[in-house]
Amino acid sequence: MVEFQNVTKIYPNGVTALRDVTLRITAREFVFIVGATGTGKSTLMKMIYREELPTSGRVLVEGRDVTRMRARQIPFLRRRVGVVFEDFRLLPRKTACENVAFALEVTGACPGQEDERVQEVLAVVGLAARAGARPDELSAGEQQRVSIARALVHRPLLLLADEPTGNLDPDTSWDIVQLLSQINVRGTTVVVTTHNKTIVDILRRRVVALEGGAIVRDEPRGLYAAGR
Amino acid sequence: MSRGGCTPLGAEPVSHAPADARPRRPRRAGRPSRGIRYFVAEGVQGFRRNGVMSAAAVTITMVTLLALGGALAVVMTLDHIVRHLEGKVEVAVYLRDGLTPGQVAGLHTRLAGLPGVMGVVYVSKEEALDRLQHSVGRGVDFQDLLVRNPLPASFIITADRPSRLPAVASAAREFPEVEDVSDATPFASRLLRVTRIVRVVGAATGVALALVALIIIASAIRLTVFARRAEVEVMRLVGATASFIRWPFLVEGAITGGCGACAAVLIVAGAYTVVAYGARAFLPDLPLPAPEQVALSVSWKLVLWGVSIGILGSLLAVRRYLRV
Repeated sequence: MVEFQNVTKIYPNGVTALRDVTLRITAREFVFIVGATGTGKSTLMKMIYREELPTSGRVLVEGRDVTRMRARQIPFLRRRVGVVFEDFRLLPRKTACENVAFALEVTGACPGQEDERVQEVLAVVGLAARAGARPDELSAGEQQRVSIARALVHRPLLLLADEPTGNLDPDTSWDIVQLLSQINVRGTTVVVTTHNKTIVDILRRRVVALEGGAIVRDEPRGLYAAGR
Repeated sequence: MSRGGCTPLGAEPVSHAPADARPRRPRRAGRPSRGIRYFVAEGVQGFRRNGVMSAAAVTITMVTLLALGGALAVVMTLDHIVRHLEGKVEVAVYLRDGLTPGQVAGLHTRLAGLPGVMGVVYVSKEEALDRLQHSVGRGVDFQDLLVRNPLPASFIITADRPSRLPAVASAAREFPEVEDVSDATPFASRLLRVTRIVRVVGAATGVALALVALIIIASAIRLTVFARRAEVEVMRLVGATASFIRWPFLVEGAITGGCGACAAVLIVAGAYTVVAYGARAFLPDLPLPAPEQVALSVSWKLVLWGVSIGILGSLLAVRRYLRV
């Protein structure tokens, strides 16, 4: 599904975000990427949806080298990869339903299919009853659910969640991770970056730990911290 | 944007897993089902939302296009006069006073015999005064003012083509009965030179001012893009194509340029109409193009120019937000 081959990323200011990262994520996996702030977790995620390019190395998504992808092909890659952010990135003037529909609207879906699909994903994230609410009328957890619904609306093969619980209280964080887990059970590959030790330790999924831009640990049923 | 279809239906949870292993061929970039209506609606909304900046951009565009439109109207008028003069393939040969009918008839025969001369028409002193009276209108009555008719009798010589006129004029000057010869070609040539200068200066001024308009429109659109950067960011992340993101801003730029051009057309056409009517009151024979002819010719050029500047300005403004 996703493959990093000796990927190094050095930003123009000289900061090395990733060092010779080699990583393979197979279809239907659930992977936690953990590590301190500034260890390159977000850079790694951004390379999957071609928001960043590596300085050296290759990134393959579904077997295609995204680093050599032409600019006009990138939107189609992004329709196959759903992305969820810590800050939700919802449009404040739009309702939950409109925020989700927006993703279809701007990618040229037919209006008939669109309505049906939006209702489906809102139901999946448990927000069918709140479809008409604007972001400021929703709790942080609900906003993150809308964000997840928006990421799912294209039926992505891969869902990337970059610190999805960073702005949430422990209970809501747990709900969101449970939701991501359900989405994974239904067939979507899920990659989550997090600092939330409790959640990683309870779920016991694959854990990839980064330190100074390099992978220092990759365990199939890992914990947040090593050595236990 | 409100969406009629966004009402909770209470649908049962269904699978959101990938529908099939191999992706279907995606819809072509920038050709969504809702397409043009969406782009126009978003463009109009952006233009209205950007209120003051849009008004400023329209005003600047209008001012720059006014200069261009003014130059176009002047060039068109001068062209029209030159063509009129060139179309009059004739030379006026003015006679000395006091010639006998025999001398006049002899001169007529010699002029008619010059190479390229197609016709020679005699205009008596009385006819000349009548023509002058007709051309200035009844505001001034020469019969009351003049004790003696000062206008000379003349022959109007028509040639087979304009290039013959200088030779015919110089040959006619050699006859002793001839007082003076009036040939319009040197004047037409001078006018043509002036027209060329006006055209070049007008084009240079137009291009320089168009650059100013371009920068202003780009700044106005950049504000819109900046105000909507969150939306643009989400669009990029969910897989909207660059052309889909760009189109509403191009529409907004086209509206800005088009509005500025329409305002400039109204002012140029109005000003030309006033000037043309005023000029005709004093000089009824001045060959000016009709106001509607000028308005039509200037309007499509200015609108095309304005819309092009608007679209180009938008492209410049949006470019950096669409880098992937």
